[in-house]
Amino acid sequence: MDYVPHDEETIRIMLEKIGVENLDDLYADIPNNLKIKTLNLPEGLPESDLLKNLTELSQKNHIYHTSFLGAGSYYHYIPSLVDSIISQSQFFTSYTPYQAEISQGMLQSIYEYQSAISRITEMDVTNASMYDCASALAEAATMAFFITKKRKVLLIEGIHPEYIETVQTYCWGRSIETEIIPLDELDNKITDEIAGVLIQSPNFFGDIEDVNQIANIVHSKSNKCLLIQAMSDPTCLGQLKPPGKSDVDIFVSEGVGMHPSFGGPNLGILSVKKKYMRKMPGRLIGLTKELYGEKEGYVLTLQAREQHIRREKALSNICSNQALIMIASLVYLISLGKTGLKDVAMQNFQKANHVKQALSQISGYKILNTKPTYNEFIVKCPNIDKLIKKCKDENILPPLRLSHYFPNRKDEILICVTEINSKEDIIKFIHIAQEAAQ
Amino acid sequence: MTRELLIFDKGYNAVKNNFTPEMDIDRVDFDNILPKFLQRNEEINLPDVPEFEIVRHYVNLAKKNYGVDSGIYPLGSCTMKYNPRINEITARLPGFLNIHPLQEENEGAIELIYNLGQQLCEICGMDAFTLNPAAGAQGELTGILIIKKFFEMKGIEKDKIIVPDSAHGTNPATSVMAGFSIIEIKSDENGELPLDQLEFAMKGGDVAGLMLTNPNTVGVFDRNIDKITEIVHKYGGLCYYDGANLNPIMGIVKPGEMGFDIIHLNLHKTFSTPHGGGGPGAGPVGVKKDLIKYLPCPQVIKIEKGLACVENEGSSIGRIRSFWGNFGVLVKAYTYILALGNNGIKRAAQNAVLNANYIRTQIQHKYPIPYNRINMHEFLVDAHLPNGVNSEDVAKGLLDRGIHAPTIYFPLIIHEAMLIEPTETENKRELDKFIKALLEIYEEAEKNPGHLKNGPYNTDIGRLDATLAARRPHLRD
Repeated sequence: MDYVPHDEETIRIMLEKIGVENLDDLYADIPNNLKIKTLNLPEGLPESDLLKNLTELSQKNHIYHTSFLGAGSYYHYIPSLVDSIISQSQFFTSYTPYQAEISQGMLQSIYEYQSAISRITEMDVTNASMYDCASALAEAATMAFFITKKRKVLLIEGIHPEYIETVQTYCWGRSIETEIIPLDELDNKITDEIAGVLIQSPNFFGDIEDVNQIANIVHSKSNKCLLIQAMSDPTCLGQLKPPGKSDVDIFVSEGVGMHPSFGGPNLGILSVKKKYMRKMPGRLIGLTKELYGEKEGYVLTLQAREQHIRREKALSNICSNQALIMIASLVYLISLGKTGLKDVAMQNFQKANHVKQALSQISGYKILNTKPTYNEFIVKCPNIDKLIKKCKDENILPPLRLSHYFPNRKDEILICVTEINSKEDIIKFIHIAQEAAQ
Repeated sequence: MTRELLIFDKGYNAVKNNFTPEMDIDRVDFDNILPKFLQRNEEINLPDVPEFEIVRHYVNLAKKNYGVDSGIYPLGSCTMKYNPRINEITARLPGFLNIHPLQEENEGAIELIYNLGQQLCEICGMDAFTLNPAAGAQGELTGILIIKKFFEMKGIEKDKIIVPDSAHGTNPATSVMAGFSIIEIKSDENGELPLDQLEFAMKGGDVAGLMLTNPNTVGVFDRNIDKITEIVHKYGGLCYYDGANLNPIMGIVKPGEMGFDIIHLNLHKTFSTPHGGGGPGAGPVGVKKDLIKYLPCPQVIKIEKGLACVENEGSSIGRIRSFWGNFGVLVKAYTYILALGNNGIKRAAQNAVLNANYIRTQIQHKYPIPYNRINMHEFLVDAHLPNGVNSEDVAKGLLDRGIHAPTIYFPLIIHEAMLIEPTETENKRELDKFIKALLEIYEEAEKNPGHLKNGPYNTDIGRLDATLAARRPHLRD
């Protein structure tokens, strides 16, 4: 099956108009010795077979009844209208809105996304998305280098291990030095030679840091160094102090409103203080007006930062981003509204706290977080293999073994509880934990 | 001044949408969970909008957007082909949509990643693929970092990358992200890379590699391609293939057999996954055998017992984003390749070339075409029309006729560049409509240029002031 509309007769007519005899003549520029004889792929399939084939493949993945796993990808309830809206074909079959006059729908939606994220984070400016939180954090570190011209960034322990590795890859590319330090060494490590301090809060282990106090340390020790905050699950902002109120210079986060889909697509949020607007990577949408009329409309703007204009002097090579996921995130946030967002955040805080308190009552379990937490926390377990096996037996996606990222931490798990975990799920999980301790 | 209402203007004081589950456990005092000084003090500045109003708002906005489903979308270098609907269904199968990237029972996902990688290897003539990069530009970064790592591990210092002047802007931007500086080579009068200049640059000894798009951005296939890669290899360099333009040659010739060592693809171009208004895409990177060990992690490899996921074993460039990339996009591309199969892949390529050449030959008597010979999937027009009508004016004239404009002002080597790529999924009627519109616009340029210069008129909004937008940035409400 293919999607070519022409019949043989049409092809013949078109070839005649072009002035060649057959389709092969169109490839006269390709040296004959390079042309392939056969392509070793199976014959094409009709749609009915595709669906069968892909359904069977998808069924080799197990879907759990419920989940206590997060670690950078979270199960939240997603209102039905989110998928309905991103399935509007004029959204999903369009491209980057280069022709503003016939792209106002996408442009206004992205402007609304930039506005909604700026409102929730209380940051001044938000761009039209990065690929994910990890690469957004890496680009934020690069931004700090462009702003300060200093080639070193500090990463505070507790950043998601995959984000750290991504930052290291990007920084290696640009010869920016990275150093991972514990939070309590920050005070001694900041000098005017540091471009930026990267911190995650709530961090990978669930800890909520006092970002405001950290900002005070950073900005009092150096008038150059930037504070960059990362976040894996921005639903916490329904109740948590936003980065814009904590003097954060650059904020990055994973998006919301998408199903996990094996880790992608989601999106990277990137928001900055106004003074760094022109040093931001990525697309930006701005409001303007008609040249010959009075109507206001939206265009791609501040493009002089970007690769298609600046080429080797560009701040980044990013062009296509995660536009459709921006619409998903926007519609998710608007659907919840301030009331729903507060409710979701409160439920995550309360339910996770409930599980945390219950586990701390069971002999053998120890909660390792000493700071407040959102929907994740780490626990030392008496019998981790038993706990995980029992979860799976009950069709529960078990928490993360910390040894997945930290091989030495063999008896610790990272538990995630969100609003989707019902009271019954929670009771069952606590019961499993009790049994596993025996 | 008038402007459309924003979603924020449609809020109410007291609306509660019933999306989230009921809170079914006993609450404790919130201050005991989160101390006051870490709590959000002010009300979140977000409206509460009833569900129906949200749907109507965005459906109306979608109507004000042109997509491939609206009509021909001849945006050069973007391959705006039809997005098959089955792909949307398969990517949303519960077994793909609801699985967690860290869950162990992921056999289907891992198999899909492996199979798609194998298919791409066959189509491109490469030995292994990573599907992790989220977009073409991130694929480029991955590829260039592989070049950096290759020389670093060998202890050889090479700090330059050759890029032709017709290259996508991402090529030089990416090279700099990996610490390289650029040698730019001017294309010759045929739009091809001059061999003598390539050899001269390579002789310097400090060139790590060449980034090349072939067919290039003027739409022609570089006839010297095997000599080009031979020269780069002779001086110890690596050849990087920018796969943005793979569509016209898939099933015809393999980049790996042209002599390329590294390639990135844009699944949202060649392999029909929707462009989504600017993403999500996917930018897989393929390499030859000797470079496999540098691929980013994680990777899926074949072992005796089946498939295995491997992390960094020391020589990888590292991680370039979290988890497995834009997996949902991979499902769509995989579905597409299975649909087309052996013959369909080639037929798609051939018809993309047919459609582009058809348009070129039907407008060449009016529109100047700087490299006027059999082109591949796209061709370049120098839109200097009578009475100073330029490519932007032509673009707006097309919008007025209900047609999306081609890429304009790229590549930079032609002043009034207009790059036209119809793709294989457009029928002759649609191509003829586009041709007729271009010829009409030419006539209008001769007779009534002022009308064209002030257009468009039939769109939701008139020509917008881009200078004002940049001078007084207004990026949020």
